[in-house]
Amino acid sequence: MSRIIWLVILGIVVLLQFIPSVRPDNVQNNHYDLVVNNNVPDSVVNLLKTSCYDCHSNISEYPWYSYVAPVSWLVARDVRLGKEELNFSNWESLDRMKKAKLLDDIVEEVSDGGMPLQIYPLMHPEAKLKKSDRQMIVDWAESYAESLFE
Amino acid sequence: MKKLFFTFLIAGTGLLFLNFTTPSEDKLAKVTSDNAIEIPDNVQSILDNSCYGCHNSDSKNQKGRDKLSFDKLNDIKTYKAIGKLTDIADVVAEGEMPPKKFLKNYPDRALSAEDKETLKNWATEAANNLAGK
Repeated sequence: MSRIIWLVILGIVVLLQFIPSVRPDNVQNNHYDLVVNNNVPDSVVNLLKTSCYDCHSNISEYPWYSYVAPVSWLVARDVRLGKEELNFSNWESLDRMKKAKLLDDIVEEVSDGGMPLQIYPLMHPEAKLKKSDRQMIVDWAESYAESLFE
Repeated sequence: MKKLFFTFLIAGTGLLFLNFTTPSEDKLAKVTSDNAIEIPDNVQSILDNSCYGCHNSDSKNQKGRDKLSFDKLNDIKTYKAIGKLTDIADVVAEGEMPPKKFLKNYPDRALSAEDKETLKNWATEAANNLAGK
């Protein structure tokens, strides 16, 4: 009996794989990228790349499970929504108002712990931000945002 | 004697002017260093009715106060003010503020469609001005 249940579950999971997920495509050579065009300190670049770029850039690293439904749908959704809000790969195409708004959002989200999403470090332990990491990102975002208006 | 009198008169008037110019120049410098966001009367009355109760620096609602204090909009960094103003436009347009729970008890504090439009336009324009567009 339990074998039948497992077979049914397996069958469903196999069938799920035929439902396409719209995982955003990666783009190479991002000339408008934040870190390419600005003098961001290396320590901050490292933090952004490990903790933010998977959902907020054109160079997401998709792990193997992100190709397996139903996890693939969740990953696709998070990356799609993340890039809609903020895409570091398009940074230089934004005007000053948008940059100011996004930097203000970064300061708030990173200091309140709203970002990275809680589910993300579960699968990416290296992306977990320590208190000192958060402070480093916040300090950089604040001084960069202020420099836009000097 | 007459000459001396005139010299004193002129020097005196000059000093008087200096006295007047120094503080007003200070004031001018202060105005140009803050955000100088203008709130027209029609916007102010909407804010007073629907927002200001929680979003001022003396508010008892700590969350509201921390998120946004209308009386401090001109004292915060320019990028922050832009962030706040764009948030106002978004939050009002999407009907997230004032909170539904609050409106249950104070239905007369709700924003009409016209109020929302007025607030959104004001906030967007003010943000654009700050960003130098």
